[in-house]
Amino acid sequence: MSEYINIFFIILRRDLMLAFRNKAEFVNPLMFFIIVIVLFPLAFGSDSALLKQLTSGIIWVTALLATTLSLETIFRSDFEDGSIEQFTLSRYPLTLLVSAKILAHWITFGLPLIAISLFTGFILSLPNQTIVALCITLALGTPVLSLIGAITVALTIGLRGGMLLSLLILPLTMPVLIFSMLAIQNATIGQPISAEIYFLAGILVLAMTLAPIATAAALRIRLS
Amino acid sequence: MSQFKVIQLECIRRDNILFQGLNFSLEDGGLLQIDGVNGSGKSSLLQMCSGLIQVSEGEITWNGENIIDCRYQFQSDISYFGHSNGVKAGLTAIENMIVMHALAGNSSRINYSAILEQIGLTGMEDVLSSRMSAGQKRRLGLARLFMSKAKLWLLDEPFNALDKQGKAVIERVIVQHCSAGGIVIFATHQTMEIDGYPLQHIHLGNEQ
Repeated sequence: MSEYINIFFIILRRDLMLAFRNKAEFVNPLMFFIIVIVLFPLAFGSDSALLKQLTSGIIWVTALLATTLSLETIFRSDFEDGSIEQFTLSRYPLTLLVSAKILAHWITFGLPLIAISLFTGFILSLPNQTIVALCITLALGTPVLSLIGAITVALTIGLRGGMLLSLLILPLTMPVLIFSMLAIQNATIGQPISAEIYFLAGILVLAMTLAPIATAAALRIRLS
Repeated sequence: MSQFKVIQLECIRRDNILFQGLNFSLEDGGLLQIDGVNGSGKSSLLQMCSGLIQVSEGEITWNGENIIDCRYQFQSDISYFGHSNGVKAGLTAIENMIVMHALAGNSSRINYSAILEQIGLTGMEDVLSSRMSAGQKRRLGLARLFMSKAKLWLLDEPFNALDKQGKAVIERVIVQHCSAGGIVIFATHQTMEIDGYPLQHIHLGNEQ
């Protein structure tokens, strides 16, 4: 067992190290996230009532788009330099190694994304309870995005055209968006949001359990 | 005693039959060279042997069991080295070796510098592999052979990009591994300079 924990952390550390040495890869999607959010006040005027209603939705949709951008690179270099072959043929389950890679992706992308959303929420003067709901839904939702994204990236790896990836990921993430927006709307009008939170947590557990298995299977198919 | 056996194997790629009815069997100490022209199926054969590509017709067994049925046991017994080196450009030589070592499931302590010295990368511990030449990257990739506990080595064109001296080092390791009871299958069209060790040959393709 400790052997498995050990290899998990070695792969996690490897991926984090690679991410910090090649910062553009994860900083660019985050910059994209910030810039797109900033575009909306410019388009609608910063004090319009319409904007206030839309802000949390804008943040969530932009988060989805930015995730799609950031996910593209999760397996690409490993596929090109033969690391995936070595992972697949190692004595450890590919599912475990893939989980470590997905966690590394979430740490370098999901976590900063939540922090930035908190910050932009304040700048765009959202009410406090809305900001709290936004952060909770993002904390539960972004890991789901990384997990579901990993499956589709594994399926499309080596194929040309990044558009296909977006077309596959975005429909699959709709349930997360729906429950998150419901939670945020309810929080804004002072209603309890536990039901939506439980649903999101349920989706997260489901994705955590199944997505690594599906990703590993997809990678095996792509290699053969 | 381990036994690697290929029975009536067939390989079809893009509607072409590359080879058909291929049989061979290797036991402890077996050394097999696969040669043939480009596109004759050398890499495909090695990928099938490793389990990366599914076998459509025929069977591959390890100690009498189909390799698909005993996948994890089989995978802990093999070390596969393909066309790509499996070396990460963003990591240094040592960091790459730590990952290779961990993936090989080898828990014993290892002197990384000594291995680097053996493969002719002395003093390059902290050099990013993106700064290395093609041959140096290949050598670093082959470092996994020095850390592997695996019994069966599957090497696809191990001498690519290597100079004469590098080739000699790898030839020596291969013979050492076989003498110690290991099994090596490798594909190359270069001539092996191995003296005094029985080398089996398989020639793929029609051209004789």
